[in-house]
Amino acid sequence: MSFVKELSKGIIKENPIFVIVLGMCPTLAVTTSVNNALGMGMAATFVLICSNIIISMIKNVTPAKIRIPVYVVVIASFVSIVDMVMAAYVPDLHKSLGLFIPLIVVNCIILGRAEAFANKNNVLMSIADAIGMGLGFTLSLVVVSTIRELLGAGTWLGMQLLPKSYDPMLVAILAPGAFITLGFLMALMNMIKERK
Amino acid sequence: MKYYIKLGFILLIFCAVASGILAYINSLTAPVIAERKAKEEIATRESLIPDSDFEEQQAPGGEKYFIARDKATGDIKGYTFIAAQTGYSSVVQTMVGVDKEFNVINIKVIDQAETPGLGANCTSESFTGQFAGLPASELAVDKDGGKIKSLSGATITSRCVANSIREMVKALQAAIADGGAK
Repeated sequence: MSFVKELSKGIIKENPIFVIVLGMCPTLAVTTSVNNALGMGMAATFVLICSNIIISMIKNVTPAKIRIPVYVVVIASFVSIVDMVMAAYVPDLHKSLGLFIPLIVVNCIILGRAEAFANKNNVLMSIADAIGMGLGFTLSLVVVSTIRELLGAGTWLGMQLLPKSYDPMLVAILAPGAFITLGFLMALMNMIKERK
Repeated sequence: MKYYIKLGFILLIFCAVASGILAYINSLTAPVIAERKAKEEIATRESLIPDSDFEEQQAPGGEKYFIARDKATGDIKGYTFIAAQTGYSSVVQTMVGVDKEFNVINIKVIDQAETPGLGANCTSESFTGQFAGLPASELAVDKDGGKIKSLSGATITSRCVANSIREMVKALQAAIADGGAK
């Protein structure tokens, strides 16, 4: 029961982007196309699951005062390992996701979940939390990037959706477009919440 | 006081274990990655100037370039080299093939870590295709008076690709002119 609860909370109720407002840097940077959003979402989810497992395993041997540097070491090591292993053995996947891997180090969702969840809960719950948060993150990225790609390039996942005569709104793909889209979506989320 | 030394010591252990694991994995993967990169380089060279034998050469400035000779006749068809320059957030490496008259045949971006969605689009066909057929004098972005249309939102990356290729073509031209009859 509570496994499912931990899993599902990340998607709407505690959505990492729209509700907790974590990981803004990668969110703003990669949502220029749906393809990038999916890549970043999946890569971050994978690292989040791994780091949550390790951190909840070492929570009893980590002194509270130095827990943050320890988490940073764990996360950074994981990201480097994933990067190296992927480059060596799955080069095709590395080519499409490789760009996002260094960005994950600065994704504060991962540090945030380590601090707020994994260091207080057991391994199983931490996995559920990581999967839920990862899915919520991926889903939010896809929503933001759908709007930006559609307005800014007239495509979705590279497919031409709007007629060729549509003059792309370049600003949607540039940095200001990310802030504007995100702002509108957050307002929408808050509106829905207040109605309830 | 003792307590803080203990904390530092624990942190040291964590870091030592982590760097040990990283060093071990790096030693396993580094040769595989290097081998794959070398293979890719050969494949890219062949895709730029097909049906050729490649001969490695050293320019006086120390840059490596390759002479492409026709497999059947042995005539020089052109040259390939790697142009590299720092773009917006990474070093962009481009492999370039030029013909005997030093007009670009084709280019391929082989390594970059520019902004996803903006500068990273420099690998796309619609950007790299613009370089085909251009001589060194026209290798510049449109803002600088050249013939390359910049990527939207990524002028720095576009400029870096165009400039790095132009400089290398010029250097190569000078090197080969100095070398005489080649």
